This record gives sequence, structure tokens and C-alpha cells, in this order.
Amino acid sequence: MSSSETVVDPDKVRLWSEDYEGHDVISTRTFGFWMYVLSDAMLFATLFAAYGVLSYPHSYYTGPTPAQFVAPWYTFVQTMALFLSVLVYGWAMASLKDGNKSGVINGLLGALVLGILFLALDIHDVMRLVAAGITPEVSGGLSAFYCLTQVHAAHIFAGLIWIIVMLWQVARKGFTEDVVGRLISLRMFWQFQAVMWVFIYVFVYLWGYMS
Amino acid sequence: MLVHVPGPWSPLLGRLALSEIPYKNLILAPLFVLIVLVGLALVGWITKRGLWGYLWREWFTTVDHKKLGIMYIFLGLVMLFRGFIDGLMIRTQQMLAVGPGDNGIKAMGAIHGYLTPFHFGQIYSAHGLIMILLAATPLLVGLMNIIVPLQIGARDMAFPYLNALGFWITAAGAALIMISLFVGDFSHNGWFGYAPIFEMSYSPGVGVDYWIWTLELIALGTTLGSINFLATVVKMRAPGMTWGRLPVFTWSAVSANIIALTSFPCLQVALALVGADRYLGTHFFTAGFGGNLMLYTNLFWLWGHPEVYFVILPAFGMLGEIIPTFSEKPLFGYVAMVLATFAIAGVSWIVWLHHFFTMGMGPYVSTEFSVATMLVGIPTGVKVFNWAFTMYRGRISYTAAMHWALGALFLLLIGGLTGMMLSIPAINYMVHNSVFVVAHFHMMLLCIVYAVFGAVIYWWPKVFGFRLNEAWGKIMFWLFSAGTALVFIPMFMLGFMGETRRLDWPFDPHWAGLFDVQEFGIAIYVLSVVSFVVLLFVSIRDRAKERVGADAWGTSRSLEWLTDSPVPFYNFAMVPEINARDEVAWRREHGFLDIRPDHYKAIHMPNNTPVALYIGATLFLLGFALTWRIWWLSGIALLATVALMIWRSAKGDPGYVISAEEIARLDREARQKMPVDGGDTVPVGGFAGGQIMAYSREVSDQDRSHRGPKSW
Amino acid sequence: MASRRGYMTGFILASVLMALATFLVSSHALPPFALLLAIMACAGFAVIAQVYFLLHIDISEHNIWNTVALVAFIPLFVITIGLTWWMFSQLYLRTMPMIPGMPGMH
Repeated sequence: MSSSETVVDPDKVRLWSEDYEGHDVISTRTFGFWMYVLSDAMLFATLFAAYGVLSYPHSYYTGPTPAQFVAPWYTFVQTMALFLSVLVYGWAMASLKDGNKSGVINGLLGALVLGILFLALDIHDVMRLVAAGITPEVSGGLSAFYCLTQVHAAHIFAGLIWIIVMLWQVARKGFTEDVVGRLISLRMFWQFQAVMWVFIYVFVYLWGYMS
Repeated sequence: MLVHVPGPWSPLLGRLALSEIPYKNLILAPLFVLIVLVGLALVGWITKRGLWGYLWREWFTTVDHKKLGIMYIFLGLVMLFRGFIDGLMIRTQQMLAVGPGDNGIKAMGAIHGYLTPFHFGQIYSAHGLIMILLAATPLLVGLMNIIVPLQIGARDMAFPYLNALGFWITAAGAALIMISLFVGDFSHNGWFGYAPIFEMSYSPGVGVDYWIWTLELIALGTTLGSINFLATVVKMRAPGMTWGRLPVFTWSAVSANIIALTSFPCLQVALALVGADRYLGTHFFTAGFGGNLMLYTNLFWLWGHPEVYFVILPAFGMLGEIIPTFSEKPLFGYVAMVLATFAIAGVSWIVWLHHFFTMGMGPYVSTEFSVATMLVGIPTGVKVFNWAFTMYRGRISYTAAMHWALGALFLLLIGGLTGMMLSIPAINYMVHNSVFVVAHFHMMLLCIVYAVFGAVIYWWPKVFGFRLNEAWGKIMFWLFSAGTALVFIPMFMLGFMGETRRLDWPFDPHWAGLFDVQEFGIAIYVLSVVSFVVLLFVSIRDRAKERVGADAWGTSRSLEWLTDSPVPFYNFAMVPEINARDEVAWRREHGFLDIRPDHYKAIHMPNNTPVALYIGATLFLLGFALTWRIWWLSGIALLATVALMIWRSAKGDPGYVISAEEIARLDREARQKMPVDGGDTVPVGGFAGGQIMAYSREVSDQDRSHRGPKSW
Repeated sequence: MASRRGYMTGFILASVLMALATFLVSSHALPPFALLLAIMACAGFAVIAQVYFLLHIDISEHNIWNTVALVAFIPLFVITIGLTWWMFSQLYLRTMPMIPGMPGMH
């Protein structure tokens, strides 16, 4: 409301801000990246909706259903690889808070190795399925199964490339404002992949195994 | 894994072959020649005037939100023109092809009218896609880009480089659909696609692939833009700009971008799954093998409905700025308006099934979506009443912008009421897929177009420093409105008479008269396009006479009117302290409007960069290569995109600093050149954002030691 | 904020819950519907633990905007998946022939 009722003292009114130092760059960056992460979550939600529609028995046509090929404990090992990778990345962030550069680099390396392990296990599993003729072209249900699991794997792959890029940047540039902002964004991305994995693991692998 | 494509495929060129170029088509071949000639003339003129350096430095590598906004609007207007031509062709085909006796113009190979069904299908598909996503959306995003940072007292968006990236990715999408005119064909499945027609077995050409990648690029660009807007408004408001003082246009931008952020991923998924079916042989939407046809429709409209609210909310925001200014009153019911905006955004998320009531989910589901759709009428009604109450007992000036704003209100009324009719399944079953629906959504889209035209006229003086010619603005309004009435009133009638959508051969001879009326309407639209060109010509010719200062209309209310016109590249010399809602109206009332800062602080600005343009180019190549299944080019384009991102990340951008003395000098110069009321000087800088190089030529020696503005 | 203890807590909680879910499923410990509820609960708690301990979604002034954004999105996830599921189960109910043992029949 335009304050026509209040009396304004021309000597005390402030028209220009003297002490505004500008916006907080890191918190703006991480908020922006978090919004990207949420839009990515929406992407997964849509894929889950598609998977839900295509997980009825008739969606599998005459072909195999996840109950027939999912190996829960194998996938649990995959889960642990990813969770450990996230934990080790968390240690890297704790080292960042202490300003410990080698701690950060070790944490990133550990996260990288464990992430590669996750992907390797996933690829091995896919190769096993393909060898058995269980491919996405067989049925709508299998298309949805592959899509959801491998879209997640693709995100992990992109994250691994990002980790490599950050390893280079931390080593070369140290902890500049940009580098710190990116490390925080990568943390959110990596942890978010773990959250998505919980949903995929439970609702695609475990529930699929149950049906 | 990869689907075998019907037709020839070579490792080097994929499906691309000379036969894919329609050099025998009697419309496309001459059009191509025309475009090449015009293009060469343009390139020649630019070269002769030595403008390539200027274009590169000031426009192609810019990260300035104002210039990016101008480029978005330019893109939107060009695509609006192309979409309009498509519409003109549709109208003409339907007018010519009426009646069972029509046998078509044989010379053009047509069975009815003058277009083959093959060509007609592509035209209406392209028309829909272009108008909604490449004309309306860039126009709105462009206006939001220019105005939102100014309205919150910021110097730029939160992520200027991301802003540029979003623009160039959208431009890449536009380039992809434009090139589909001359290389291959476009989709003939309508703008939103039908399962299973878009499957490879029923659409063996590249058209659907063009459609997929165009949409994916646009979706990516818009998502990046929405992140930017939200971060900017949350984190970069000037001191004193509390949420309760935010201008309604910025509020509408916030809600629209929340919709964009949440819904565009659904579109990306829907299209990616179509791509998976066509490229990888999956069975998401196939007829058989466990595919589900309706799943596509569901996923698409999950995005599709929020999308239409994404386009209408900024239009409502524009009306909320124009109407108070030209009624000389504050907006009635500010809090109700803001709440209504978010109510609309929220409800928009639970209504998407009303686009496919007829698909058989049953009465319970249909009822929920029907009731929810009707609910959206309540906050919309609140807004319409509040705009009317704003005008009540105000001092109304019927400027051209006000004409367009009031016209938008009328169209909103018709579109909204017909929308309420369509929300009732019983009625919907009767008129689904008829042109009644087409007329309804054109009323809504034209409401947006009217609001945009009004906003362009309203904010033009802020961006370019002079007002557009009022008389021609009003002439254009009346011509455009006559065209609208003549095209769409018959269309509502035809919908009730049973004409379905997308008919290349409207076979009922009773409809002939109405088609003739519609054709007359389109002819008037053509006249309105001509009047738009005249408007621009006359206004630019007379720009010295219509020169304005910061407060162009004398009765404006929100913060952007505090800056000089055109806006300098740093927006505000000193960040303003906000004291009230409608800050400029408050300052005018208390006599503070002409007070400039008496001292300044140094300003940190981002550098220009060509990387956004390069990434747009590589993504265009990626889309093109994927469409034609040129795998080696796709791989290279993808790697190049990633490499550019990593390179940009490694380089970073420290920006450059303008010292306080430099800002003081620039502000003083601007004050001297600014007319008090009218005046006959040509605007400083020419357009919002001004000439960065003009600044750097006058850089003092002290500043030379800092990193100056330059591209790298 | 970034603390080793917080990350370890999140890791342990999530891992234990996932191990529990795997054990329940692979040993067929419960009847199908109860089993589904059990693993949904495991997933729910694991995600809450991760979101709080790892992603720092809390109501401190530093993180409040991230929390607001997440809270705004959660209904949309529910709507997207929930309404889609409802639509299609109604559709199948009305258009698919009744096959004995078909899940989702009610």
C-alpha cells in the first residue's frame, strides 16, 4: 500500500541502500542447484508414474517379470556401494570445512572408486540379463524397468565425470568461491542420487521381486 | 538395440539424402530461394556496415538480462510471424477445400484445396508447436527477463551465464524446427502427438524425430530459465523489498516459473520415452507387447496443463501492471491477487485429465478432474473483478497499451467461460476434438498475445527510451481485434456444428460460408501485421520526438520506472532502498522521485562469454544429428557440449569492477542527457543495456588495471 | 551442517533399513500386502534419514529455502504418481477383462 497516511520525514528517509553488500553468492548457487535437483526428482517421479502403469502383468506380455530375474542381495551390494560412496563424499565435505585439501581429494577419490563399483555392478547385471534375452524390446514392462534403473545409472555416470572434474579443480585452484560452491552442489547431487536409489531399490527391485 | 529404420541409412549421413530436400514442392522451393536471397542481403548489409564485431560483442556473447530479453522477444516475434503464416495456410486450405465437389488444385498435387494432406498435417503440427512454445513462451520469458530484475532492484539475474545458455538453447530448438521446413519433413501428428501414430511403424519419416528434439531443447532452455528466475527473486531483492512489496508482475513470474520448474521434466520424460520407442525399440506406447497408449497422453498432459498456466500467469501479471498505471490507482486487492495467482498455479496441477476426458477412466476420476477444473475459475474470477475494481473511480487514460489490456480481459472472459463449459464431461464428450476446443484455447492464447502486445507498448519506452506511436498502436489493435472476431466467432459455431479439428477437407458444404468469413478475418489479420510494421517504422522514425525520461508514462507505479530510459547496463547506479509497495508511486507522492544518489559504490559485473552460443550450436547439431541418425555427429556434438561445459567451469568468470568514480561519472552524464519532459535527443545507448563498449572506451587509467569488459 | 557424525548417522540408518527390507523380501517373512507396507516404511524412513542427515533439510535459517522448495515439491510427486495410479487402475477396472489373480483388482 502506498503510505499516504503515514508521515514521512525527508531527513530520515532512506532512498539508497548504503550497506547492501550484494547477495550471498554461494547460498544463491546452492539454492539454484537444489531447484535443479528437485526438477530432476520430478523427472524420476514421472518415470515412476510410467513404471507404475507398466508394471501390471499384462505389461510384461508373455515375457519375464522382475520376480523372475531380480537378485535382491546382489542389488543390495550395489546399494551399499552407493551409500558408502555418499558417505565418503560426506567425509570430503567435512574436510572442506576444516580446510584440509588432501582430505577433500581423498574423499573425492574414494567416492569416485565406490561410484565406479556401483556402475560396474549395474553393468554386470545388465549384461547378465541381456545374455538371457531379457531386454527392453521384449515388453512394455521391461522397457519401464530398464528405463528407470538405467536413467539412474546415467545420472551416476554424469556424477562420476563431475567428480573427476572437481578433483582436477580442487587440485589446481584450491578452495575458491566457485570451487566450494560446486563441491556443495555435487554433494547435493550425489546424495540425491542415493535418495532416488532408495525408491528404485525398494519399488522396482524389491517390489518387483515380490510380485 | 537400435531400431532398424525403414528407408536408406548410411553411416556417414544417416537418413539424410538428397531426396529429403523438397526441391519439387511448389511452396517450399520458392520459399527457400526467397529466404536465401533475404538472408544473403541481410548478411551483405551487416558486412557492409561493419557490424559483425558489434553484433558479436554486444549481442551474441552478452549475459545482460535486458539484451537477452530483447533477443527472446525478437525470436518470439519472428516465430509468431512464421506461426501466423502457418495459420494463414490452414485457413486458406479449409476455405478452398469445402464440399464434396472440391477436387483440389491438381498443379499442386492436392486432392482437396491446395495442400496435400501430407503437407497440411505438418503445417498444423508446426503451427501449434511454434505458437505455444516458440512464440508465446519466448515473448513472455523475454519480458520477464527484462523486467523482473528491475522490479526487485537487482543488477542482473542470479545466474547471467545460465540466462544466456537458456536463450541459445531455445534458439537452437527454433533453428531445428525451421530447418525441418527444407530438410526432411516435420511431424504430422499434431503439436502434442498421438500414440501409437508417432511410433516408427506408422510415422517412418524423420518428422516425429524433429518434433521430439525440438521439444526437448525448448524444455531444457525453459527449465534452466525457471531456476534462474526463482533464485533471483528469492535471493537478490533489494533491501526493503519484502515479499509484501513485490510487484504483481514479479509475483506472477515467480508462480509461473514454479510451474515451469515442476512440469517441464514431465515433458522431457514423455518425449524421451517416445524417443526410446523410436530409437531403441522399447514398448512404452506401442499397440501391443505390453505398451500403453494412454500412458503417453497422461504423461504429456501432466506437463501440458501446467504449461498453459505457465503462459497465462505472466500475462495476468502484465495486466496487473498496465491497468493500475493507466487508471492512476494502486491495484485493487493486492493480497487477494497474489493468493489467487498461487491458487491458480496450485490447482493447475490437478486438472490435466480434462484434456482427455473421453479416454475412459470412468466417472470418479472424471468428476475429480472436472470439479478441480471448475475451481480454477474462482481465483481467475477474483483477478478479473480486481482489475475491474482497479479501474473503478480511477482516472483512466485509454492509451494503446490500455486498449490491448482491456481487449485481453474480454478475451479472457470468453475463453474462460468456454473453458468452464469444457470442464463438464457431458459437454466435453460432445465437443472433444472439435474446433470449439480450438476456438476456446485460441481465445486464451490471444488473451496472452494481447497482454504481451500491451506490455511491449507499455515497457518499450523503458527499454528503448522513446514511446511507440499511439495512433498506429490503436489502429493495429482494432484491425487485430476485427480479425480475431471474424476468425473465431465462426469457429465456435463450426464446433457446435460438428467440424472436427485438423480437417484438410471440411466436407460439409453448409460450412462454406463460415469458412469464407474466417478467410476474410485472416485477411484483416494480415492487415494488422502490416500495421505493426508501419507502427515500428513510424515510431523509430519519430523517436526523437517521443523521447522520455525515467518515468515514461507519468503515472507508473513500480520500481523499474526508477531507472533511466533506456536502462543503463548496470540497472541502478546505487541499489535503491525500498520503502513501500509501488515504490515509484510512493516516491512521486512524497517528492523523492528526482533525487539521485549523492555518492556511489563500486559495482561488480559479469563478463560476456561466447560459450553459451557455442553450446547452443552444439546442441542444435546434436538434435539435428539425432533426428537424422547420424551417429558419429551425435557423439561429437555431445562430447563437444560436455567439453564446453567443463571448459567454462575451469575458466570461471571473475567479472570486472566499475569503480565508484566511474559510476558517478556515468550517472552524471545520463542525468544530463535525460530529457525532463520530451526533448529532442536520440536516446543514450539506443536500448536497455546500452553500449558496453561505449563505457570501456572511457575507462580511466585506474580502471585499466582491472579486468575490463571483454569477450573471451 | 557438514559433520562426520551426521553423515555417518544417515549412512547407518539408510543401510540398516535397506538391509532389513532386503531380508524381509528375500525370506518371504510376511504376507504380500504386509510385506509391501513394511518395505514402504523402510523406504520412507530411509529417505527421511537421508534428507535430514545428508541433505541438511531442516528449518535453520541457512537451509530454510531449500526446505521450503522441497516441501512445495512433495505434493507434486504424490499427485503425479498417485493420480496416475488411480486413473489407470480405474481404467483397467473398466476396460480389462477380469483375470483371476490380477493385482489392483478391487
